[in-house]
Amino acid sequence: MKIDPELCIACEACLPYCPMAAISMKGDVATIDVDECVECGVCFRAGVCPVDAFVEEVHEWPRSVRAAFSNPLTVHKETRVPGRGTEEAKTTDVTGRFKRGFVGITAEMGRPGVGVRFYDVEKVAQAMAKSGVEFAHDNPVTFLMVDKSTGKLKSEILNEKACSAMIESITTVENIPAVIKALREAAAQIETVFTLTISTKLEADGSALCEKPLKKLNVPLYLNGKVNVGLGRPLFKEES
Amino acid sequence: MTHTLHRRGTRESLSEDYVMLCLPAVGVNNEGHAPKLKKFLEIATKYDPVNIGTIKLGNMYSHSKEEVVKAAEAVVHAVFVKQGQVADVLKDLEKADLGMSVVVSGIFEKVDECLKKAGLKHHTANFSLGIWGKTERLPSNEILEVTTMCGHAMVAANLVREMVKEIKAGTKTPEDAAKVLAPQCACGIFNPARAAKLMAAMAAK
Repeated sequence: MKIDPELCIACEACLPYCPMAAISMKGDVATIDVDECVECGVCFRAGVCPVDAFVEEVHEWPRSVRAAFSNPLTVHKETRVPGRGTEEAKTTDVTGRFKRGFVGITAEMGRPGVGVRFYDVEKVAQAMAKSGVEFAHDNPVTFLMVDKSTGKLKSEILNEKACSAMIESITTVENIPAVIKALREAAAQIETVFTLTISTKLEADGSALCEKPLKKLNVPLYLNGKVNVGLGRPLFKEES
Repeated sequence: MTHTLHRRGTRESLSEDYVMLCLPAVGVNNEGHAPKLKKFLEIATKYDPVNIGTIKLGNMYSHSKEEVVKAAEAVVHAVFVKQGQVADVLKDLEKADLGMSVVVSGIFEKVDECLKKAGLKHHTANFSLGIWGKTERLPSNEILEVTTMCGHAMVAANLVREMVKEIKAGTKTPEDAAKVLAPQCACGIFNPARAAKLMAAMAAK
């Protein structure tokens, strides 16, 4: 994204709209810090510029990963996967993605609203790989890995920045302590934040097998979350 | 995609925040899914949602409700502020038997009560284990309560601060300020009714 300096009238209306706070006044024109811009397109779509000074650019690889991970209206050109992640728990009633005894663990790097460089995505992915998780095959971050067993990413993207990037994995309930330990260590080594999600099939009484190990590890579950209500058809039937 | 997870807030505030989404599974039941998603939005709009949206187009603050319903594709969303609305939508969805996956976000116990009323059960859950890493880079909790209602982080913290300033100055009502924020969240999962309350409370300080 760029602002045409010939058109900008310095009204400053666009400044608060940038989720990365990458627009500022330089003299008498608004300017985008291209290194901090994640190409999310919010400033352009907001339509607040009275003189249409925003110019949406199409970028080549590797900068193209910015829009792919940050603009929810962009389909991943390189990853060929729409959105930032997979369907994960949303369609597990028909896909059977999360079977009993297994959980999905997702670290969404840069969320909420801080943004992330891919070198930090790699740090956390490598920590998760060492803890023994299996990365989701159809996830955009997994697609950027040169080695799925180590979590190493393509070197040319490491300094690129995105609004957020999801590292999705599946592991066993027994392996939860190892993953949490790895994530705690990695969290201390990064410049950004991540939200952590655990996805699991629920027992008949509404409880989850992961609750006990998480409690033991002093990892609290928030009071709100997402529930798949089992209306998808054909319903996946897990073999006993 | 965990875009309706990790919404921050107090129990009281989150008690007025429910997001429902409906989608097919690619490669399983996605053939001919668009009319089913349209039906989902038609059912949802009967119960006065505070927002509806479809990622391919946008939400009811950037387009008319009719345009959003017509454009239903891939994944659709509806936001409600009352448990009763969610239970009613779930009852209608069960009868409609669309065969699409349906997910409800909210306080677990409250969602559970809605499911019971509709005669449905939990299948799978996504739990939030919080925010990790350099949390000192985050804005204040009260700002996060508003911005996390867009899981793609398209609602900027600075825009919330700007709106609070305008409410304080009397140049915008909280409701009008929320209408400035809502279009930024293209999926339509942002809850403007809750945002208005939160910003009014911030402005009153």
